[in-house]
Amino acid sequence: MTTTNDPSPAGDGGGDRSLPVIANPSRRTAVKGAFATLGAAAFVAAVSPLRQAAQRSSAAEFMQSHYKRLTDEDKRQVIARLEAEAKENHGVEVEIADDRPIPNTKFVYAINLSVCNGNGKCVEACHKENNHDRSTGQSYIRVLEMPKGTMDMEQGNTTYSGVVPKDDKFYLPVQCQQCDEPPCVDVCPVKATWKEEDGIVVVDYNWCIGCRYCEAACPYHARRFNWKQAEVPAEEINPDQSYLSNRIRPVGVVEKCTYCLHRTRRGKLPACLEACPTGARVFGNILDPDSNIRWILENKRVYILKEELGTKPAFFYYFD
Amino acid sequence: MVVVCWDGTPPRDNQRRERDVLAQSISTVPSPIVAQAISETERKSSAPSEPGRHAVVVRRPDGPPLIELAATDPQGRSGQVACSTCHSVRPPNLANRSSDSLDEFHQGLTFNHGTLACYACHNPEQSDALRLADGSVVEYRDVMTLCSQCHAAQATAFRHGAHGGMNGHWDLSRGPQTKNNCIDCHDPHEPSYPKMIVGFKPRDRFLKDETKHDDHK
Amino acid sequence: MSSTTAVPTSDDHRSDESHLLSYPRFLKRILWLATEGSFGFYAWMTLLTALSLVGANAWANQVAGGMIGTNMTDHVSWGLYIANFTFCVGLAAGGVMMVIPAYLYDDEDMHKVVIVGETVAIAAIVMCTLSVIVDLGRPDRFWHMIPGIGEFNWPMSMLTWDVIVLNGYLLINLHVVGYLLYMRYLGRKPDPKWYIPFVFLSIFWAISIHTVTAFLYCGLGGRPFWNTALLAPRFLASAFVSGPAFIILVMRVIRVTTGYTAPVGPARTLIQIIRVAMVVNLVMLASEIFTLFYTGGGHASAANYLFFGAHGHHGLVPWIWSAIALNLLGTFLFFLPAAMERSTVRIVACLCCIVGIWIEKGMGLIIPGFIPSTLHEIVEYTPSLIEWKVTVGIWAFGMLVLTLLMKLVVSVFTGQVRSKEPTATV
Repeated sequence: MTTTNDPSPAGDGGGDRSLPVIANPSRRTAVKGAFATLGAAAFVAAVSPLRQAAQRSSAAEFMQSHYKRLTDEDKRQVIARLEAEAKENHGVEVEIADDRPIPNTKFVYAINLSVCNGNGKCVEACHKENNHDRSTGQSYIRVLEMPKGTMDMEQGNTTYSGVVPKDDKFYLPVQCQQCDEPPCVDVCPVKATWKEEDGIVVVDYNWCIGCRYCEAACPYHARRFNWKQAEVPAEEINPDQSYLSNRIRPVGVVEKCTYCLHRTRRGKLPACLEACPTGARVFGNILDPDSNIRWILENKRVYILKEELGTKPAFFYYFD
Repeated sequence: MVVVCWDGTPPRDNQRRERDVLAQSISTVPSPIVAQAISETERKSSAPSEPGRHAVVVRRPDGPPLIELAATDPQGRSGQVACSTCHSVRPPNLANRSSDSLDEFHQGLTFNHGTLACYACHNPEQSDALRLADGSVVEYRDVMTLCSQCHAAQATAFRHGAHGGMNGHWDLSRGPQTKNNCIDCHDPHEPSYPKMIVGFKPRDRFLKDETKHDDHK
Repeated sequence: MSSTTAVPTSDDHRSDESHLLSYPRFLKRILWLATEGSFGFYAWMTLLTALSLVGANAWANQVAGGMIGTNMTDHVSWGLYIANFTFCVGLAAGGVMMVIPAYLYDDEDMHKVVIVGETVAIAAIVMCTLSVIVDLGRPDRFWHMIPGIGEFNWPMSMLTWDVIVLNGYLLINLHVVGYLLYMRYLGRKPDPKWYIPFVFLSIFWAISIHTVTAFLYCGLGGRPFWNTALLAPRFLASAFVSGPAFIILVMRVIRVTTGYTAPVGPARTLIQIIRVAMVVNLVMLASEIFTLFYTGGGHASAANYLFFGAHGHHGLVPWIWSAIALNLLGTFLFFLPAAMERSTVRIVACLCCIVGIWIEKGMGLIIPGFIPSTLHEIVEYTPSLIEWKVTVGIWAFGMLVLTLLMKLVVSVFTGQVRSKEPTATV
C-alpha cells in the first residue's frame, strides 16, 4: 500500500519530527517506559473511586451463583449474609425468607375500574411494604387519571393530585402484569429474571447486571432500576422480607412488583389490596374454581392492557 | 345527627396499624362517629367451619346505634341513649323523607339515598332495629340483609370478593379473611363513596406535573 | 503499491524461523514503532490519553455513586451510552463497504487500502464494547454473561446475540488485520486460505452486527417507535454512509500526517456508495415518517414529540432538525463533483453526514423510543456531564486505538518495519 519500496522518505519524515533530545534508542525506551508508567499510574488514580464501590460488595456477593443454582445450604448462607448486611448497613434486624411457589397456584389480579377512585393508597402501601427509597417515593404502582370515554393511555396523566375522583375521570392503576409471555424475561441476557410456577416474574437482585434491557422491553412501566441505594430509615424498614421480593435491594439492579410474594406465598393478600379503601382490588388463585378471581373472570366484562402486544397479562381490569 | 354504630378503622395486625399511624393519612374516609371496637364478629355463612379452613369474617356493627347526649346532667356527665328512648314515645311520621321537614331532631342529617322514606329502613314499631321491605324486623347487626334487598348485584359481587375491601388471607387454608360490611364504607344516609384527597405521590425524577400545563384538551 | 510482490520476495528472509520467535519479535517491534512519532503525534496521543482518563474517572465516579450520576431515569432508561453504542456499531459495519468492492469485485486499488476499513472496525468495536460496559449498573457482574460460568440467555435475548456478533466481528478483524500485517512484516505473501475465508465471513458478519443491533430495539412491542421492520435496513443504510465517510476522513489524516497517498479510486468508490446509501437512508426515513404521521394515533406520539415536541416538551426537536439539516447538506455536498476530488467539500460532507447520523441514530432514535413512556408520561432526557465525559473518553480511547493501529498498518505496509531490517525506523 505504498507508492515506494524505499522506507527512507517516510522514515526520514518520522525521524525529522521525532523528539530530537532522545535519539538514542535505549534512552527512548526508558522515556517510553516512564511515560507508560505515568500513564498507568494516572489510570489507577482516575479509576480510584471504584475502590469505594468495591467496598460495598463482599467477595462472597461477587462470587454468588445464580439463584436457581444455589443449593439449600448455599441459600442459607446467602440469606444469613444478607441479614447480617442489613444489620450492619441499615441497623435493623430483618428476616429474609426464601418463599417458594405454593403448588397448584397461579396468582391473578383484578381491579374494578368502576370503583377505583385514584386515591393512591395502594401506591403508598407498596412504597412501605417493599422498602422503597423514601426520597423518591418509589412504588411499583402508578395510577393514571383518564378521561371517561377512552382507554387510550395517551390521554392519561399520573401526576394528578387533589380531590378524587374527578367527575369526568376514571382511574387506572398500573403495576407489573405478571405476563404469561413476559417480554422482559425474554430479553434478559443473563437470565436474572424469570417467571415462576405461580406466575410471578421475579428478579434475582444478586444476579442482575443492570443493563436495563428489561426496562426497555416492558410495555407497562413495571420495572424500576436502583439508580442509587434506596434509603429507608431503620424504624421504617419492613423486616418481613423475602429473597426474591422486598429485601433491601443493592444499587445498580432492576426490581419489580412481585405481587408481594413474601405475603402471598404465605397465603396473605398483597399490601396494595389491603390498603385499598374502595375494595377495587381482587387477588387470588385462578386455578381454584371457587376463588373470587375466577368468579370475576367468569361473570364480569374484563379488559387487559395492551392486549395487542400478546404479553398475556395475569392482571385484569373490569367494570361493574 | 347521624348516628351509626360502626368502626371506620378496618382491622389490621398491629404492625401494620403502627406503620399506618406513621404515615399521615390525609384522606376523607368516613371517620367513625362512634368508635367502638368490634368485639364480636360473625362467621360468614358461605364458608362455614370446613375442616382445615379458616373463616371469612364479615365485620358487623355492634348493635343498635346510641345517641350522644348534647346536654349534661347536673353532675356534669354526658350520656348515650338508645333510639327507643325518644322514639318509643313519639309517633312515627311514615311519610317523612328528609331532615328538612323535621322541626326538632336530626336536623343536621344529610340524606341522599334515593327517594327512600326514613321508615323504609328504620323500624317504626321497634326503633332499635330496622325493617325489611316486607315489614319484618332486622337487627342493626344484620344491616347487610337490609341493604341487599335493593343492592342485590352488589351483594352478589360482595359474596365473590368483587365488591368491598378485605384484609387477611386469600388462602383460607392458611388464615382467615376479614371483609368490610356495607356501612364500613357507605354512610347509609348518603351512601355514595366520599371524595378523597390524594396523599402519597411518587416523585419521579424529571417528571413534570402534567396537570399544570395540560394541553390534552 | 507498485511493489506488492517486490517486498516479500526481495530477500532470503528467515522463512524457516519459528513463529514462536518471530511473532513476539514482531509484536515488540510494532509496539516500539507505534509509540514513535513526531511532536504532533505525541501531543495528539497525550490529548487522547488525557481525555480517556477523564472518561475513566467519570465512569469510576458513576460506578461509585450509582447511575444516579447519569440523567437516565426509569422512563428514559437508556441514554447517550446506548445511543453512542448504536452509532459505533454502524461505524464498525461500515468498514465492510471497502471489503465488498475489494474482495467481491476485485477492485485492485480498494484492495490496497481495505485494511483501513478493517482497522476502523476494530477501533469501533472497542468503542461499542466500552459503551455497553459503562451502561451497566453492575459492571462487576459482567462475568454473569460468560457462558459456562455465568448464564447466557441465548438464543432468547437479542443482547446475547449482539455480544456474540460484536465479539466475533472483533476477532475476525483482529485476525485478518493481524495476519496481513504479520505476513507483510515477514515479507511473505499472505496465504489466501488463512484470511480470504475470514474476509468473506466478515462481510456477512458486518451485516449481522448492525442487523442484530437493530433487532435489539425493533423486537420490543412495547416501544412502537422502534417496533418497525424498517429499522434494520435503516441502520444498515446509515452505517454505509457513516462508516465510509469516517474512513475517508481517516485516509485524509493518513495522507496529511504520513505523506502516504492512496490511489484516488477507493475514496471515489466510497463516495459512490455513500451517495446511494444516503439516498436510500433518507428515503427510508421519509417513508417511516410518512407512515407514522399519516396514520397518526398512538404510534405517532414519539415521532410527534421528536419532530415537533409534545405537551410543552421540546427537548429533542433541535437535535433531530440539526440531524436532518446535516444529513441533507452532507448528501447535497456528496453529490457535488468537487466531492470526487480531494477537496474541502469532501471533508465537510463527511463531517456533516457523520454528525447527522450520530444524532439521527442516537438522540434521534434511542431516546424518543422512551418518550413518551409506556404509560405515556413525558420525561425528557439530556445527558449529564458524567455521561458526556464518559462518552468523550470512549471516543478518545477509540481514537487512541485507531491511531496506534493505523500507525502500525502504515509503517508495516510502507516497509518501515520488517523482519530482515531491525533498524528500519532510524
